[in-house]
Amino acid sequence: MRFFRLISQFIKVSFEEESAYRVNFAISLLTSLLTVGSAALSISVVFGQVDHVQGWTYASTLVVLGVYLIMNALRSLFINPGLESLAGMDGEVWTGKFDFSLLRPVDTQFMVTFRKWRLFSLIDLFFGVLVTGIAIYRMEASVSIGQILLFCLMICSGLAILYAILLFFSSLVFWSPAVMFTWVFNGILQLARYPLSMYPGWLRFILTWIVPVGIITTFPAQALTGELTVKVVILGIGLAVSLVILASCLFRRALRHYSSASS
Amino acid sequence: MKNPGWALMRGFWLSWLQYRSFLFILAFGWMIPPLIYMLVWMMVAGSQGIAGFSQGEFVAYYLVLILVNQITYAQTNWTVGDMIRVGEMNRILMRPIAPVYDPLASEIACKIIYLFFDVPLVIVLALILKPQFHIDFTEAALFIPALLAAWALRFLWGYWLALLAFWATKADALLVLQDTLVFLLGGQVAPVLLLPDWMGRLATALPFRYMVAFPVEILTGQVTGTAVLHGFLIQAGWLALAYILTMILWKNGVRRYGAVGG
Repeated sequence: MRFFRLISQFIKVSFEEESAYRVNFAISLLTSLLTVGSAALSISVVFGQVDHVQGWTYASTLVVLGVYLIMNALRSLFINPGLESLAGMDGEVWTGKFDFSLLRPVDTQFMVTFRKWRLFSLIDLFFGVLVTGIAIYRMEASVSIGQILLFCLMICSGLAILYAILLFFSSLVFWSPAVMFTWVFNGILQLARYPLSMYPGWLRFILTWIVPVGIITTFPAQALTGELTVKVVILGIGLAVSLVILASCLFRRALRHYSSASS
Repeated sequence: MKNPGWALMRGFWLSWLQYRSFLFILAFGWMIPPLIYMLVWMMVAGSQGIAGFSQGEFVAYYLVLILVNQITYAQTNWTVGDMIRVGEMNRILMRPIAPVYDPLASEIACKIIYLFFDVPLVIVLALILKPQFHIDFTEAALFIPALLAAWALRFLWGYWLALLAFWATKADALLVLQDTLVFLLGGQVAPVLLLPDWMGRLATALPFRYMVAFPVEILTGQVTGTAVLHGFLIQAGWLALAYILTMILWKNGVRRYGAVGG
């Protein structure tokens, strides 16, 4: 309960900070529109030449895009702002301001994860849901309530995997300036805008087992297209749980390693 | 050796060299979108090919495109607006050479560093993915002027957009628009030949194809005969327009410019 109260306070403060920059709203809207528009158009260019690739149609590929947009929106809604202010350039670990965050009477990982919100990302979230909705409509297949619940479950586990990876990289900053890892990862994450099976076998393997970004978008999309097997659901959730535990352990170790910055 | 432009370039080269790992990561990020579309089109083409393109031809097209995209990408355009807003333009205005030398020198220095990353990677990809090239001498010879004009066009087009920062603080958003249009119409999503009709027509008329795709199409033999000549004419026209706009905006902008003191 206390955690929920804190989160709503964090959101309130972030809202007050952001509403000072109103022009940014228009700019965010413009960039979101460009992102969504160009992504959807590029998929339609590909499917202007063929009807289906490796069992994926225009509509089901659009579902993957929708999930990709939703994931990115949720990420920049709270995961990114929090972790960037910790481990990004000029982040607290660099400047030594992290001392003050450590002193707060709440769990540090909780603080770091939820304290900053970028509410403009709700625009992106809206577009992500819209694209997913349109895609489902175009699939002309009936989607049951169970499938939608499964979809939400897979979105949560995908988000947890994404969070774990980002927390993992942020923790490495305590040892060395590893901002770079996150940036390389951002490049690789872009691959997740297409279904895994559109890539050659070796890359599919990497995107499933080594850098599991493919799982983040393909699994939830499969929940809606009805191709998800029980095995895959268990795999997704198991991976999410174990990665979050692993990343949290690393973060705790990193905290013990932190020695502030010299004054 | 006493050429000030040369000295400026050397300065930028040395200072950028310190950030090479940072630059390599940027180069990696820019390489990803064309790589994605290369892989997707390879999958679409399968073993029979599609719309006259074989897998190997897609690989050839996109590997050249990765290099051309890197060479023509004008990253300094993103900092012009900031320099105007923060008042850093002063430093450059005080110099005894034309201010446009500053971004130009930075561009060239950066590009050489980027290519140290890109060229080996493209060679490795070429060894793995086996591109199909059939290049003759004329194509190779026409590629060079098309590439240089593409770079000049992409740089100047972004530069005049960035100069709008003299009047509007958020002019950078227009650069995002430019990047999106280059992505869609500049041959990244698909070779212009494979775009749907209406997009293909837009691509031929607007400047964005001539910033990236045009030289690649020449080298891979997708445009031939009179189409090449038409392409060069349209490219030259847009380049002239970009040049004129840059000059006008610069002249009027600098007059408006008042630095923030401090």
